Amino acid sequence: MTDRVTLTIDGKQVTVPAGMLVVDAAKKVAVHIPIFCYHPKLGSAAMCRQCLVEVGRPIIDHATGHPELEDGFPRIQFSAKLETACTTLVSEGMVVLTQSERARKGQKEVLEFLLTSHPLDCPICDKGGECPLQNLTMAHGPGKSRFLFDEKHHAEKQVPLGELIFLDRERCIQCGRCVRFQENVAGEPVIGFYQRGRSMDIVSFSEPGFDSVFSGNTTDICPVGALTTADFRFGARPWELMAAASICSQCAVGCNTTLNTRREARSDGQIVVKRVMPRQNEQVNELWICDKGRFAGYHYTERDDRLLKPQVRRDDKFRSVSWDAAFLQAAEKLQDAEKPVFLVSGRLSNEDLFNLLQLADGLGAETLLYTNMGGGDLTGMVGLTSGSNLADLGLGDVILVVASDLQEEAPLWWLRIKQAAERGAMLIVVNPRETKLEKHADYVVRYAYGDEIKTIQDMNKATHKIHKVFAKAANAVIFYGSEGLGLEGSSGLAGACTSLLVDTGHYARPNNGLVGVWQRANDQGAWELGFRPVKDLQVIFDKSEVVYIVGADPVGDGAVRLKKRKPFMIVQELLSTDTVGHADLVLPARAFTEREGTYTSGERRVQRFYQAVPPRGESRPDYEIVAEIAARLDTALEREPGLVMDQLAEHIPAFGGISYLKVSEVVEQWPVINRSELFYGGAVYENTQGLGMQLRPAPVTSFPVSKGKGGLRPKEGLLLAVPVNKLYDQGLTVLSAPLLRERIGELKVCMNPDEADRLGFENGARLRIGLNGNNAKALLVVDPTVPSGILLVPRSMGLPIFEAGMPVLSKVRKKVTG
Amino acid sequence: MTLIEKYPQEVKQILARYPQDQKRSAVMPLLYLAQRENGFVHRRDMKDIGAMLDITETDVASLVGFYSLYHDEPAGRLRIQVCTDLSCALRGADDFLAALCESLGVEPGGTTPDGLVTVEPVMCLAACDKAPLFQVQTGAGLEYHERMTIEKTLEWIESRKEAAS
Repeated sequence: MTDRVTLTIDGKQVTVPAGMLVVDAAKKVAVHIPIFCYHPKLGSAAMCRQCLVEVGRPIIDHATGHPELEDGFPRIQFSAKLETACTTLVSEGMVVLTQSERARKGQKEVLEFLLTSHPLDCPICDKGGECPLQNLTMAHGPGKSRFLFDEKHHAEKQVPLGELIFLDRERCIQCGRCVRFQENVAGEPVIGFYQRGRSMDIVSFSEPGFDSVFSGNTTDICPVGALTTADFRFGARPWELMAAASICSQCAVGCNTTLNTRREARSDGQIVVKRVMPRQNEQVNELWICDKGRFAGYHYTERDDRLLKPQVRRDDKFRSVSWDAAFLQAAEKLQDAEKPVFLVSGRLSNEDLFNLLQLADGLGAETLLYTNMGGGDLTGMVGLTSGSNLADLGLGDVILVVASDLQEEAPLWWLRIKQAAERGAMLIVVNPRETKLEKHADYVVRYAYGDEIKTIQDMNKATHKIHKVFAKAANAVIFYGSEGLGLEGSSGLAGACTSLLVDTGHYARPNNGLVGVWQRANDQGAWELGFRPVKDLQVIFDKSEVVYIVGADPVGDGAVRLKKRKPFMIVQELLSTDTVGHADLVLPARAFTEREGTYTSGERRVQRFYQAVPPRGESRPDYEIVAEIAARLDTALEREPGLVMDQLAEHIPAFGGISYLKVSEVVEQWPVINRSELFYGGAVYENTQGLGMQLRPAPVTSFPVSKGKGGLRPKEGLLLAVPVNKLYDQGLTVLSAPLLRERIGELKVCMNPDEADRLGFENGARLRIGLNGNNAKALLVVDPTVPSGILLVPRSMGLPIFEAGMPVLSKVRKKVTG
Repeated sequence: MTLIEKYPQEVKQILARYPQDQKRSAVMPLLYLAQRENGFVHRRDMKDIGAMLDITETDVASLVGFYSLYHDEPAGRLRIQVCTDLSCALRGADDFLAALCESLGVEPGGTTPDGLVTVEPVMCLAACDKAPLFQVQTGAGLEYHERMTIEKTLEWIESRKEAAS
């Protein structure tokens, strides 16, 4: 059997891989067979029957095994009945007619049938304007219905499946795309069919309703307006929306998104973002985004406490000043200080960071990265390199995930790793407690908190089973996180992982390497540019004269306590954080939606985002603010992001060859998604603005030897507070999304049932927890998956667990019910 | 009370019938068990079953929704289901249904005031030649009562009433 077959579709010849479906093969020659239930990522269900086509096959002469000929051409026999293009596999010599009278009649009749129970409420339907059913009805449907209006099917129109997704039962055509997405793609079957036939209905029995972090994607692939998000519902009509390409700023995956905007009276005539949509990038997020990116993606940029004007502190009060005065003061203060300190975070773009680096160089300033996770120097050396794509991993490859609850920290990585495991890649999950990824793992290794590094070091002994697996594997990728670990611990863990990869030869080539599960979108970029965290930030604040803080809130996070003598603080920020409250000079920055730039994802892919909305107030992009300050110190820095990138590429070897032109290149992706035929892929946007570009492998010959201890170990009779990351936390970027309030909830801490018994606490008890001098009320969740001696405390949930530049496992000092 | 607390023996027996990696197959018998006492599957039993078999509550519920012999709402303790499809109707099934409803004083689909009997018309029960007939679930399983008359039906209901009291 050949692996490629040639067939003819509507007179166009096409050669495609054997095993392809007719509906996909047709796409290759721009023949768009109408579909509802089929989706290229979900496979066939043949539930809607919309894709009926005429299929003919050559008659094979059984004596010779060759096609019978007629006038030199194979004789084609057409099937007696129409066939569904979404279940029919291509075969050699096949002839498909999608536009014949018979095929068109079949398609028309199916549509007429679907419409008998569909309300014609397009004028008030959110999907109207980007609705496959509406479009296909215009293209293939009958002008009039022959069915009796009085017998029309009526059903409930506003059914919340949870607080995020609403169902309109009347509009549902029961194609099952949403149910199949949850089952096959997301692997969380929390919605299902109820009843049969005309009474069939989508339901969710989970708690909370539709309990999946991927739920929003079902609204994109719903071919009618049956599923809508509470966020966008009745918000705008699709044809009013403008689209700007963007990159999600919520985590290190770097999902490609499109921000839909419109100018509206409701927002005082301003152009505002109305929704976040996925944008296809088969190397990053395929057609999906997580609910955090969708529902919290941009809301924080619209908060009322956005900083709008430069301000200085005079007589302990903020006064607005001109930008010119602000630049001048910043320049003077930085120049006068003996060794100013720049404290930056991975919220900034590569361009911002590069300009900051240049300015710091000129001043001889210290550059610090604000993070509680280390190891980025190693991911810069042995991270993923150009040509890597998690979708390439499968049979014969190995993926190891350590110290990370990946679904909570980077949902799209979780999804892509799960898919790799389904394709046959060996998945090893190494974590001190159960996580959702384990269901898909081949091996689960459970260690005690504190044994992170030792566990990985043990695996790297030549006789260890996992070492052997790595040695044999074609490709290997390790994802490491910071669960229970501070800066030192995670650095040590990265070192141990690096040794395993290097010793088994899995680095400096595509689809091999180390990935950090960072907290911020551009942490990797900051590391690549040479920003490094410091163990004790408090010391820095105690001794420095001037600190220039950009995109970080060390005061609010409890990373530093300001004393009477504090440094002169220049704070460049979006929002009124606690750090801003103590600033001496405040420089208002633009949000990522209001400017251009690039982020470097955890997979070391540089991706570009574009301006979607006008800036608020007098805010300016970070790279420009830095260039203006530099100009007053007689240092010329670029003010156009594209030119900054050119400079960056010249100075930083890993970025060699990267330019805005390069990261904006696109190649044809499969499946072929196009907004003009959105019945095929859904309302997701095609990618015309660039697939990004991965950094080069660093030319490295020696690696730092892994030192450092793991996290603290629990002690007899004492509880250890362990920091864990939650998807929906109370960080400002998430908390600002009104829709997610319920999912964020209150501070919940988890402990083992035996531990709770020993302490006399019941599930649901309200505790007051004292930790490093901070106090907070918390709800106790008794969870048997938590090891004993441990209290899980989510980061960014109101109880700071970030001290002196790094969170360490801390003893819970006080435990009082109340 | 969870299902396993209520019927520890039965639940264990049912679970033992299936290999550990196929334990979700136990969902059907467990649902019958859950339905035994009250004639319908309670939401919290669905949750229980899901937890026992490592499947989502939604998965369990969708089976309850799919199969017409599982019920998700309370009705009479005896749910008398009369087939009224064409071939049964030709043998007088629709007259039988009407007469039965009248003598019990309920509408089709309704429940008697004492909560004992619900009468429902249903689709084909695959016994056309023995119509009029009805099916009913009792603790012993699914029963077919064929070639029925009103008298025989009422007699049977009486006997169940006595059995119950």
